[in-house]
Formats: sequence, C-alpha cells, structure tokens
Amino acid sequence: MTAVELDGIWKRFPGVIANAGASLTVAPGSVHAVLGENGAGKTTLMNVLAGVYRPDEGTVRLDGVEQSFSKPADAIAAGVGMVYQEFRLIPTFTVTENVALGSAPAVLSKSSMEKQVGELAERFGLHTEPGREVWQLSMGERQRVEILKALWRNAQVLILDEPTAVLTPNEAAELGRITATMAAEGRSIIFISHKLDEVKTFCDEATVLRGGKTVASSLSVDDLDAGRMAELMVGEATAVSQRRVRTTVVGERVLDVDNIIVHDIHGRAVVNDVSLVVGRGEIVGIAGVAGNGQRPLADAIAGLRQASTGTVSVTHTDITGMDARTRNSHGLAYVPEDRIGVGLAPRMNAIDNAIMRNYRTLGDGPLIDFGQAESRAASLIERYNIKVGRVDQPLAGLSGGNLQRLLVGRELDDEPVVLIAAQPTRGLDVQGVKAIQDILVEQATDGVGILLISEDLEELFALSDRLLVMHEGAVVGEFDPDTATRQEVGAAMAGAHASEGSAH
Amino acid sequence: MFGFRLAKRDQALPGGQVLAFGIGLIVALAFGAVLLVVAGHSPVEIYLKMADAAFGSPQAWSTTLTQAVPLGLAGLAVAVAGSMGLWNIGAEGQIIAGAIAGSWVARLGPDLPGPMLITLMLIGAAIGGGLLALGPAIARAHLGVNEIITTLMLNEIALRTVRYLVNGPWKDPTSIGFPVAPELPEQAALPTLFERADISVLIAAAVLIVFGFYAARSKWGFELRIAGSSEKAAEYVGISLKRKILTVLVLSGAIAGLVGGLRLGATDRIVEGVAEGWGFAGIIVAALALMRPSGVAAVAIAFGALRVGGVAIKGQGVPASIAEIIQALVLLGALGAAVFTTYRIVGPNSNSGGDATSRDMSEVAS
Repeated sequence: MTAVELDGIWKRFPGVIANAGASLTVAPGSVHAVLGENGAGKTTLMNVLAGVYRPDEGTVRLDGVEQSFSKPADAIAAGVGMVYQEFRLIPTFTVTENVALGSAPAVLSKSSMEKQVGELAERFGLHTEPGREVWQLSMGERQRVEILKALWRNAQVLILDEPTAVLTPNEAAELGRITATMAAEGRSIIFISHKLDEVKTFCDEATVLRGGKTVASSLSVDDLDAGRMAELMVGEATAVSQRRVRTTVVGERVLDVDNIIVHDIHGRAVVNDVSLVVGRGEIVGIAGVAGNGQRPLADAIAGLRQASTGTVSVTHTDITGMDARTRNSHGLAYVPEDRIGVGLAPRMNAIDNAIMRNYRTLGDGPLIDFGQAESRAASLIERYNIKVGRVDQPLAGLSGGNLQRLLVGRELDDEPVVLIAAQPTRGLDVQGVKAIQDILVEQATDGVGILLISEDLEELFALSDRLLVMHEGAVVGEFDPDTATRQEVGAAMAGAHASEGSAH
Repeated sequence: MFGFRLAKRDQALPGGQVLAFGIGLIVALAFGAVLLVVAGHSPVEIYLKMADAAFGSPQAWSTTLTQAVPLGLAGLAVAVAGSMGLWNIGAEGQIIAGAIAGSWVARLGPDLPGPMLITLMLIGAAIGGGLLALGPAIARAHLGVNEIITTLMLNEIALRTVRYLVNGPWKDPTSIGFPVAPELPEQAALPTLFERADISVLIAAAVLIVFGFYAARSKWGFELRIAGSSEKAAEYVGISLKRKILTVLVLSGAIAGLVGGLRLGATDRIVEGVAEGWGFAGIIVAALALMRPSGVAAVAIAFGALRVGGVAIKGQGVPASIAEIIQALVLLGALGAAVFTTYRIVGPNSNSGGDATSRDMSEVAS
C-alpha cells in the first residue's frame, strides 16, 4: 500500500521541460525527502501533486486510487496539503481566522473555534496562540500556522517546500518533532530539502530528482552519505563544458572582502563572516545551493545591502562606506541575479538601459545628451551582438540572451577592475550561455577580476581559477577546479564538513 | 469564463495612444448619436455645433484654452508623480491650498503693483500646494505610508479650511446674507490675452512645455523614469528613492497649487468651490496621457473642447443629461481603448502564458 504514487509525470512549459517522466512513491506514516538541485523539477512535481499544475502525461494515485486534480481545491479535498516557502497567510487575521479561512462552518463562535484550533495544535505539538494576529508571529510560528491549516483540512499527505530555509536551528529541530508526530498518526510528509544533515535526521526515505527525472527512488536515508547524495544530485562528470584554458597571470588583489556579516530582517546572519580575494585577471567561482547567502553577499559587495560588519576594498581603496553609485565609479561592476527589474528597467528602452550607469556623465548641464546616448547604445549593440527590434521600444520583448548581453555589456562599458557576475547564464539557451561565458573569459584575459556566482557546477569548473563553496552563509571550502571532483564540491554544497571536502 | 482573456503585448502598439483616443472618440460619438436621435435631434448638426463652439472662432478657442489651463496643470501635477509610480489624488486639495496661500499674499500686500503682486501670489500658491503635499511626501518616503490615502484625506482638510476661512476670519464684513471673502485687489486680476482668455494660458503653456521637455530630456526626468520602471533598478544605479519621492510629491503639489493661484483670477476672490473638481479631472487627464508630462497638453485641450462643446449644445435644446453622457462616453471610450495599446485579446485555444494565468488563478484559490 502506498500513500502517494506519482508515475511517469511529464510537464512541459514553453521552452522548458520541467518533469520528464518523474516518479515518486511515498509510504503511509513516513517522512520522505525529495532532493535535487535548483531546476531539477522538485517544485513542479510537488505542484502536480498539489493540483496546481495538470501533468501533460502520467498518473497521480493516492492510496492506490487514481486522481485527476484540476485545481488545488481538488487536491485539498483528496487530503493533500502543501506548505509553500512563501507563506500564504493574512497578516491582520488571527491564527484561528487564517486556519479556518475558507473552510469554517456557516455559523461560528469565535471562542469555540479558537478552542478547536488550540486542541488541534496541542495534538500535534504545534505551539501557537490561536487568538494572536499573524503579523506578530515569528517565521517559525507562521509555518506552524500553515501546517495547522493543512491539518484542519484533514491533510493525509503534507508537502513541505524547503521548510527549514526560514527557520532557526531550534525551530528546525521542533519541526522535526512535529513531522514525527504526524507520521506516527499514519500521515505522510514530503520534505523538500537540499541539506543532507536534516534529511538524515528528519526523514525515513529519500527520492532524488535530476533534470526532471527521478534518478533514485525511496532510498533509505541510512544508505545516504554526502558523497552519494552529491553524486546523485549533480550527476557524473559530464564533459559538456570544456575547461577554458587561459594564459592568465593572476596579478595584484583587485577585490578584498574581509569578514563580511550580513543580517536579514529577522536578525539571522545570512552572510556569516565571509572573507575572499580576487586578483587581477582571476575568475573566482562561488558554488552553492540557492539561498545559502550568495545573493546577500553579492549585494553587500555591490553596496545594495548594508553589511553589519566587515570591509570591502577595490584595488586597495576601502569602499565599505560608499553607496552603490560611488562603488561603481571606483571600478566595481555588478551583473545582478535579477537581470530584469534590478539590472535592467523593463519598461524603458534599450538606449535608456544602455546609459543607466553613466547618464550622469552624458551632457554637462542638467540635460542628457541623447545623441551621445544613442551612439553609446549603438556601440554596445554592435559590440555585443544584441538583437533589438527598435532601440526606442521597451525592453520587455527581448530574449533572455539579448537582455543579458545588454546588461553585461553595459557593466563592462566603463572598463571596471572588478565584475561581480551573479547567475550570469541562468535561463539562457546554449548559444546565450556560450556568448556570456566568452565575454567573461575575454574580460578576465584583459585583466578584470571576476567573482562568478553560479549554481551551475559545470560552468564553475569550466571558468574558475579558484572555486569557493558557500553553505549557510559561510565559505565552507576552497577547491582547485583542475584537481577537485564534482562530488567533493557537491558534498561541500550539501553541508558536509569542510574538512572532508577541502582538497587544497 | 469563455477562455478569452487579455494578454500583455510584448511591445506597446506604436502610436497606440493616439489611435486609441481616435477609436474611443468614434465609438462614443456613435453611441451619442443614437441618444440624440432618440431625443429627436440630428446628431450631425449637434456634433458640428460642438466643434464650432470649441474651435470655430477666436472666441471659441479662448474659451477652450481657458478650460484647458487648469486641466493641463492639474494633469501635469498628477503625471509628474505618476511617472515615478506615485499617485497624487490630492491635487484638488492642493489647488485649494494654493488659492488660500495666494489670497493670503494678496491680503498682506494689497497695495503692491499688479505684476509684482500677481507674481508673488502665484509663487505663494505654488508654495501652499507644495506644503500640503509635504506631509504625505515625508510619510511615504520615510515610513512607506500609502500616498493615495494621505493625499486623498487632505482634500477634505483643505476644503474644511477654506470653508472656515470664508465663513470666519476672512468673511467680508460688508457682505450681507451668504458669507464671502472680500474681493482681491483690482490689480491682482490676470491681464487678458485675447477674447476671454487671460495670461494664465501663457503661464500654463510655459510650465507644460518646460516640464514636458525637462521630464523627457533631463537627468532628473531620467531618474524619475527609472524609479517608475523599477524601484530596485533605481537603487542599483544609486538613485536615492527617499529624496526622489519627497521632491516629486512636493513638486506635484506645487504645480497643483499654481492652479489655485490662477483660479483666483477667474473667481475674483477665494470661494469655497475654488477647486471646482479640477484636481480630480487632472487625474483623468494624466491617465489619458499615460502619465507622460509631455502628453498632457494635447489631452487637456481635447478635454477642454469637450466641456465647452457640451455646454454649447445644452443651449441648443439638447437635454443637459445627454450632453454629459456624451462627454463621459468619450472619456470612457478613450480610456477603454487605451487598454488595447498594451494588451491584446487571446482566444481560448492559445497557449501563450496560459500556464502562468491558470497558476495565478489557482494560487488565489488555494
């Protein structure tokens, strides 16, 4: 008997195959981990189970009965509950109101409802105050409200999408106790995670996805170690990306990051005491599973986010106290992870976007010399082979590759000494990836120091001179891409102790 | 419901706004024609009368432009804020604040020569409007308080204040019966430009041209557009959003305040109804101009002509309600058609973006 059986699930989106025959089998009364890199298809598969997406092919069975969900309400009625990473709660409603919203009896008494919610919470050890408004609660408490919501609707299968990402270690341990209580009652919990240690602590079995397919199903977590998990998630070394050989002489330090700590609004250290250096002409790669501090680190170096402590220097000039604009004028260029909306302004045209960094220097007085602006844009478009329909139309219609070449080209236009490139090839097609990688290699050869943040291990191995791994906000390992294996790096990404993987 | 829905165009239809306005106008006039026939009038005759009243003679032009002045400036006030994504719903109150400040200047220096007095009154009016917008500006910039609510609520405060002034401290002691403020000094009246139009037409034209150009070509206007396109992109290139919000909302208030100063010339004295709904009409003008300061003038003249034409046909025996319905239809048609410059209709079998939409719907449902 299986509680959940997903079989041969295919789901295609325009230009992307998210699930290519993925399968998942979950036993009743067990906590089942679903593992995989970003883009492996975990979330899509869970959304199929939760009724958000209809699979193109494949079957969904609960307790052996085939299901056809056309909307999330169908899945909820069949006993599937999902807790998303972004909570779906109404901040000004109380815990009870959020829990009962949409499934309350027609006539309700506030006190009896609160009593019922309180009893349900008690039964599963979910500590909460039914009468409090949600905006007053911590992230851990909010998550418990989400779980209560699912239990209130009598969920027999509960999907938790990276539930510990927002939790403190104590809260995570408590979540483990809660899932154990639910499993003891015969319910099934699907636990999406990247972290080996919590998978081993909280879960009974694990299924690993890679490239939309299931590569290992229902492994016992006892058989799982860091090396095995990394191998399954990352795959065997495939020779898709050739190592780019450059005749670089790494020169003096151009970027010095010393003991940077960045706190989020909840006071957690999302970047935890990171120090690194990048030399002239060097590409330093940063590997890591998404959400392990890469983005706040890049933002803090670029001046978009305040670091609590630590210093940043560019060519021995301390830029820590400077704002983003001044840092940029000191030779620090930044290709942010969100190319649309941060790096580029989608509702403005190609000319406007081409001059976003240096419009202040185009024209002497308060007016912009748009003749000069047009020639700047034209030279970028030609040099980086950007295909734009009309330069005076909003960017929205351009393809990802063209957008990224415009962004990267603009950042390089003022001849920076340091370039931070965050996920510069994510979502691009093969040609687009190659074009951006070519530009990065060419710039490094010309002496630009590049900090390359990527989730694509192949890319990091192909381009980096040195490879750092971030886990939970800290740099946990440094590798030489010429000698390190993907398994070693993958193990460090998954949180195995740095000493195990550090082959230096 | 039937599978038809709106999908965003990859690129806005080129020249779409002018086209939309034209199509909206034609559709509205066609509907209006039906009403006119039912009411026993010849639509062609009535429409020609409207056009004649708005544009048929220098006198007609002077009337239309006089209407276009407050529409254009109030529209500019809203559009300046709107081009960075801020909604100033308080132009109405800022017009009143401008009128109060302008009157106050006139009371302080009743014996000043005309040009000096008028200049000081207008500067005072702009400062008055700007001051009323200062509170919402600070609250939005530093505390993130929604400017729509604060500017809207201040309209009420401004209205009560002017009511108090004309009924209390500023009440003309010689007035009998209905309380009014005393007339402004004679030399404070704006000189006539031609026919019924006074020099406010020139002042408004100058402000609109300068701002339209400055918003489109200056570094300041460029930063405004970046912030309007994406706040994060603005922070990324090092634009201080707080300062931008502050200056733009206060400037928006000052432009609306200027309308109040210019309106004093038309009413001879400050009255309760000095703003007359111009501030709210400005929101429609700005919306039709797609929040582009450079597009406001043309919309204001068209809107002004519609009002003048509407008044004229009331004199032709057309029921006032039909005249107003035609005006409303034109605006509705133009605003409605404007949707299709940025959206297109997608049939039930089209695949593009379908997943995103059904996903959005289901997220709402969950």
